Amino acid sequence: MTLTTTAREQTRALYPDQQGSIERDGVRVSWERYGSGEPTLLLLPAWSIIHSRQWKAQIPYLARHYRVVTFDGRGNGRSDRPSVAEAYDDAEFVADAVAVLDATGTGRAVLVGLSRGGRWAVELAAARPERVLGAVLIDPAIGFVAPPHPWWTQPFDEELDTDEGWAKWNRHYWLRHYLEFLEFFAGEVFPELHSTKQIEDMVGWGLETTAETLVLTQLGSQPASREEMEAILGRVRCPVLVVHGDDDRVRPLAIGVAAAELTGGTLVAIEGGGHCPQARHPVRVNLCIREFVESLGGRVR
Amino acid sequence: MTTVQARQAGRAAGEQTRARYPDDEGHVEREGVRVFWERYGDGEPTVFLLPTWSIVHARFWKAQIPYLARHFRVVTFDGRGNGRSDRPEGAAAYSEREFAADALAVLDATATERAVLVSLSCGALWSTLLAADHPGRVDGIVYIGPAVGLAPPHPERAVHSFFEPLDTDEGWARYNRHYWLRDYRGFLQYFFSRCLTEPHSTKQQEDCVAWALEIAPETLIDTEQGLLLCGLESFERQCRRLRCPVLVVHGDEDAIRPHAQGAALAAATGGRLVTLAGAGHLPQARDPVKVNLLIREFVESLGGRVR
Repeated sequence: MTLTTTAREQTRALYPDQQGSIERDGVRVSWERYGSGEPTLLLLPAWSIIHSRQWKAQIPYLARHYRVVTFDGRGNGRSDRPSVAEAYDDAEFVADAVAVLDATGTGRAVLVGLSRGGRWAVELAAARPERVLGAVLIDPAIGFVAPPHPWWTQPFDEELDTDEGWAKWNRHYWLRHYLEFLEFFAGEVFPELHSTKQIEDMVGWGLETTAETLVLTQLGSQPASREEMEAILGRVRCPVLVVHGDDDRVRPLAIGVAAAELTGGTLVAIEGGGHCPQARHPVRVNLCIREFVESLGGRVR
Repeated sequence: MTTVQARQAGRAAGEQTRARYPDDEGHVEREGVRVFWERYGDGEPTVFLLPTWSIVHARFWKAQIPYLARHFRVVTFDGRGNGRSDRPEGAAAYSEREFAADALAVLDATATERAVLVSLSCGALWSTLLAADHPGRVDGIVYIGPAVGLAPPHPERAVHSFFEPLDTDEGWARYNRHYWLRDYRGFLQYFFSRCLTEPHSTKQQEDCVAWALEIAPETLIDTEQGLLLCGLESFERQCRRLRCPVLVVHGDEDAIRPHAQGAALAAATGGRLVTLAGAGHLPQARDPVKVNLLIREFVESLGGRVR
């Protein structure tokens, strides 16, 4: 397999004002800071199939109004790629987020989390309420609070006798046909018409890590039980906004609905939106984020 | 018709939402053929966005109208054969002289004394003719991806006959009237994939194919034959008659009309040539900001001449 590419980054609409890295247990995680307004928004990583450029359509807008901090999740971008599955436990990503808040001198922040980042935002808000002003969950991947899509039931670990459709969600297939998996998955993430650019971006970011690393991120993530997840959501005390595409083929809208209910948050369903509305409906999502941040008002200052 | 009525009419026809709706609309009739026009904004001067080949209609200017109408008065019309205009039968109804005469009639109907013309592809034929015959009505011309025979065509487009049945459907062999009648949509998809060669052009391709489905292949064959009547020698003569300022905008990856044709037109008219790097045949759709700024800059440069 010759998928190693020298990542030549695209031009950015806005470049960071500051960047650095934190290190935990020998794993370095790179962060960036844009703008200097109030409050700080921490745009969390998602699954390490992508990295912080996933927020490229948010950063320039939000940084005009707020201080914006991002970081590359371990396993992709300019962060390290540890070689053991335990390093990709959800608790590690949450701990990275806290370390980035510390390193950037951020006392409290509004969290914005996409997909798995939505789960980490909830866990961080529940565990460290004094650091979190509010949480925006975009198509959150919070397992078991609602049933998964029926097509997402194939065993990840076993050799299957088919490569069709979601049977590609399989470690053996990833190791065999990583590029084909990325193309398939990106196609499912973006069901919206005319998404070729977003699909190409996602595949490109996916190629900055490896199938082997991605398998570790999958094995390292411990699915919480429904009761555990509901308990965590119930402990969230900050305001919550859930934005969820109603055509999300990766994580059904029902998850977003349940997350909003269990946190007492507000739900905005994006009509026709897939799993990454921040990329495909950026203006809508940006205005939702801004309105939410503004609504925190006195709480923030 | 009011703007609200127009909006409802558009909706009834299944038209997409527009970023801006016309302030006025109407039609002119010449020899029994009705041609439908729209007017947006009321600034100065008037920018007249001409039709191109009737494979598409005036919506191909959709990325120009909202911007230009903030600064200028903008007039468009659907070329005969597509949109809300009539579809006369026979190739003779689609000669460049008919399109130029329609354009003049629209200027009159909209009480437009003078205008800056903007033309795309084949529209170069009628913008040139209109300006040459009526220099008092034209302050300048912007040519985008002009389809003019002043330089040779792409070699791959000169292989197959348009009229004769072919034994292949590959590539440009689809530019053939028998193929159009057999698989019209297949032709459209191929043709617009060659018009819009830039990555991530699926939306623009889909728009164009949908507009092209508003004209029947039989009518499109008439328009193609009508355009074939246009002689190179006479076009060169028309170019030499032009007295107004000219801007030519041409993509250097135009797979329909070679960049050399735009360069030759700029040379023949003493105009300025702007080359768009990496652009295909429809930069007004795929590089709209760049094209809009070029049009505006050109119009502003006419300054005192216009007012």
